[in-house]
Amino acid sequence: MTKNPTEFSLTLDGKTVNFTPGETLYEVAQRHQKDIPTLCYDPRLESFGGCRLCVVRLEGAKNPVASCTTRAEAGMVVHTSTPDIETHRKTLLEMVLSENRELEVSPLRGYASQELTELSERYQARTGRFEGKQSGESRIDDTNPFILRDYDLCISCYRCVRVCAEEEGDYAISVMNRGFETQITTEFGGLLKDSDCTFCGQCVQTCPTGALADKKAMRYSETPGEIIKTRSICTYCGVGCSVDIMTKGEQIVGLQPAMDGPANEGALCIKGQFAYDFVQHEDRLTTPLVRGDDGELHEATWEEALDKAADGFKRVMRIHGRHAVYGVASGRTPIEGDYMMQRFIRAGFGTNYIDNCSRA
Amino acid sequence: MSMTDAQILERYAREPAPLLPVLHAFHDRDGYLSEEALRVVADGLRIPIADLFGTVTFYHHFSRKPGGLHGKRVCTGPVCCRKGARELARSLGAETMPCSGRCDDPIPVLEGHTTLIGNTVSDLVHKPSPLPAPNPGGYQECVFAGIREEGRAGLAGYRKGGGYRALEKALAENDPEGLIRTVTESKLAGRGGAGFPTGRKWQAVRDAPGEPKTIICNADEGEPGCFKDRAIMDYDPHALIEGMALAAFATGATRGFIYLRYEYPETNDILAAAIGEAEAAGYLGDHFKLYLRRGAGAYICGEEGSLINSLEGKHPFPRNRPPFPVTHGFEDKPTVVNNVETLVSVPPILRHGAAWYRDLGLGEHAGTKIISLSGDVARPGNYEAPFGLPLHTLLHDWAGGPAVEGGTIQAVTMAGLSGGFLAGDDLNVTLDEPCIRARGSFLGAGGIMVFDSSRDMMAIAAEAMHFFAEESCGKCFPCRIGTQRLTERLTGAAGPRDKTAWLDEVADLGSTMKAVSACGLGIAAPLITESLVRYFPERIEQHCAS
Ligand SMILES: Cc1cc2nc3c(=O)[nH]c(=O)nc-3n(C[C@H](O)[C@H](O)[C@H](O)COP(=O)(O)O)c2cc1C
Ligand code: SF4
Ligand code: SF4
Ligand code: SF4
Ligand code: FES
Repeated sequence: MTKNPTEFSLTLDGKTVNFTPGETLYEVAQRHQKDIPTLCYDPRLESFGGCRLCVVRLEGAKNPVASCTTRAEAGMVVHTSTPDIETHRKTLLEMVLSENRELEVSPLRGYASQELTELSERYQARTGRFEGKQSGESRIDDTNPFILRDYDLCISCYRCVRVCAEEEGDYAISVMNRGFETQITTEFGGLLKDSDCTFCGQCVQTCPTGALADKKAMRYSETPGEIIKTRSICTYCGVGCSVDIMTKGEQIVGLQPAMDGPANEGALCIKGQFAYDFVQHEDRLTTPLVRGDDGELHEATWEEALDKAADGFKRVMRIHGRHAVYGVASGRTPIEGDYMMQRFIRAGFGTNYIDNCSRA
Repeated sequence: MSMTDAQILERYAREPAPLLPVLHAFHDRDGYLSEEALRVVADGLRIPIADLFGTVTFYHHFSRKPGGLHGKRVCTGPVCCRKGARELARSLGAETMPCSGRCDDPIPVLEGHTTLIGNTVSDLVHKPSPLPAPNPGGYQECVFAGIREEGRAGLAGYRKGGGYRALEKALAENDPEGLIRTVTESKLAGRGGAGFPTGRKWQAVRDAPGEPKTIICNADEGEPGCFKDRAIMDYDPHALIEGMALAAFATGATRGFIYLRYEYPETNDILAAAIGEAEAAGYLGDHFKLYLRRGAGAYICGEEGSLINSLEGKHPFPRNRPPFPVTHGFEDKPTVVNNVETLVSVPPILRHGAAWYRDLGLGEHAGTKIISLSGDVARPGNYEAPFGLPLHTLLHDWAGGPAVEGGTIQAVTMAGLSGGFLAGDDLNVTLDEPCIRARGSFLGAGGIMVFDSSRDMMAIAAEAMHFFAEESCGKCFPCRIGTQRLTERLTGAAGPRDKTAWLDEVADLGSTMKAVSACGLGIAAPLITESLVRYFPERIEQHCAS
């Protein structure tokens, strides 16, 4: 059934536009390339309405309304950028800057870490205005190897808490106290490792100030070179999360989830997020090794190594039969490698004893 | 014998809104909330432990230190501070608490579940809250009409004065739509601050799809300088129950809550007894089950969305609106949230008719408003004033004028603290919203604090803003940061010394807070600075110079 288009249309900055019932004003405006500023917004999460930067003028309403929490209604007349609104946005940013200790933070801290910096540049928000007490206390005592909890930079947008609950389902962190004394915490104020945290890194990647930061990536803050992002797929399990591998020159410096990854939409687990060191690890084998008659491993050519392996398999088959062979493919093999592996075991040895270490 | 963990959970887990009573039961039993207790509660009610921990820290009165429950807490509201509350707290070695709703008495001190009253350590005594004096203007009353009758708090006493007659009549006539029409025609509007027409609210809940529907009485009364709901509940609890039962009948609601502020422990007992009597008499029961819930010290929990979140056991941030509680309230079902005074006005309206109630107001104004009057007046207390009464009449004729012989009234607050100050010529207002709103303030819940010319308005403004900063929930940026920055500028702890820059920052903070804050707290708080700047510019000059 087609609806009369005027039934679902509103006026956006003077133009009549259509909307789908249920859409928020922010979403409608996004579709029409309106660049409404936000800090507490993450499209994956329920709208929260905290930062108030997204306010728009709605004709007939006494005060500006938060576009992220206001659903579109037929006949609304909306202005996304009036001089008044822009003044409030700038004042809000200057208020935020007054509690935040650092504006320049390394992009290695996390995916969204530049949001506040970029907005304050866009609005030319002045630092030093509204000076006063600082909010948030960093947890330098939390020495876990993955996540820096630098709450001196926290602006209480609660994206971390909400992503942990809504996307990750872990409910490891929450909001303690109230008002200006608000602090992000775990149960009883403890360390992340003693909480329900799985170190998925979701909170790090949604934090708009870098208050939560990727400690592993930050090891390379001082490494010279531009950060290049290369889209890839996580090599661990069968989900196939999209990732952006960050490099400086030849060095992998970190990894960020792809927000537009079809399988993960920005999510990763601890392995995908943090366990990439093996790629450039010094213990990694670079040539085949073959055990000699002396019992020691010796560098060898692929020819020698493969011959040695084939001999071994054949001997086992001869003595114990074909079902004595059991193939386990690595979780890190690509799908083509997995296919080859099972052909090798099934057709090559004639057994169905084939498995994969990550059957997720 | 005290209850075991399992018994506590067993007692409440099947009731709606179990978290607050369960936490109170542990708090009362152990004298504080231990980590073990919170883990048991989290398990029993299936709340993530980090969430529960965070939420418990939100409330002022839940103590996490052994013995904390029994520590003394001294009211340091604006009126009590002028009586020496800070000195009293120091001599007692006690904690402080925001205005605890007893401004018509000497300083209240909460000790466990007992309210002590006194000015010094040696004269602290437990005594009942003051009964409203007979109407000094001789006006006919609605809410207080029967409150001074002997034995009124008991069922028999209440019935003797015509109590429950309106409910019985409503049930016999069985015309809920007609009942709502009468309430609408009476022009009764919310007495909790926002002034929404009560009949329209009830009709909206009646019309909204979804069941069960809920009636919530907002008895959180956290606004400094407001103590009217306490007087009503202490002396006329059955009137509230009858009002709620009528609301339930009108809307089809089958369950109700009274959300009572923590600082009224005696009121809690009075309400519990009255609910028991009303249940035994059949006014309450399976058709309308009424639950009493105590808050735990958070002004913002008087905001209806925050209140509902608090009942549901969630972090008590206000909710985004729309949707409103009338369609998506408690457990996302249609819900009436009404103030105590609003609900208590309904039985007399139904007994005497809509026209009777409307005519109680002066001029074109309909009905009455309880004013909690405190501070530097001779006779502080609760007064039921007809809308439209001149403020001057209330202050001077009814309350006896300045407390000190020869004193002059310098300023008053409106809506407790939320309406900021009125001073100078604006003390000529009449007590009704159109007149007071025209002065950039509002009457709201009707708390008026009076300050004579010996008082330093800068200090009072700083205390007021400090209150808002401490009570800001922290959900939205303009209020969380703005209340803090305005406090610092008023105390002088931070901010520009140059007057022009000072005024500029204060005005910018205020205007953004007023325009874009997520709830009424952040919107109202800058009225303090706005009115200070308007009425006391020379005091600001001094402040910046010092
Ligand atoms: C910060 C804040 C505190 C409030 N505190 C109270 C309160 O203590 N009691 C109350 O009845 N209403 C309070 N309100 C108003 C409620 O949100 C709501 O409007 C009211 O309870 C509705 O009842 P009414 O229509 O009968 O007034 C408060 C509002 C705000 C914004
Ligand atoms: S790393 Fe993941 S589980 Fe841990 S707090 Fe952050 S979002 Fe929650
Ligand atoms: S840590 Fe980051 S994401 Fe979490 S509340 Fe603070 S600023 Fe927001
Ligand atoms: S205005 Fe203040 S109290 Fe209200 S939601 Fe915002 S921070 Fe919370
Ligand atoms: S994006 Fe709407 S309030 Fe933050």
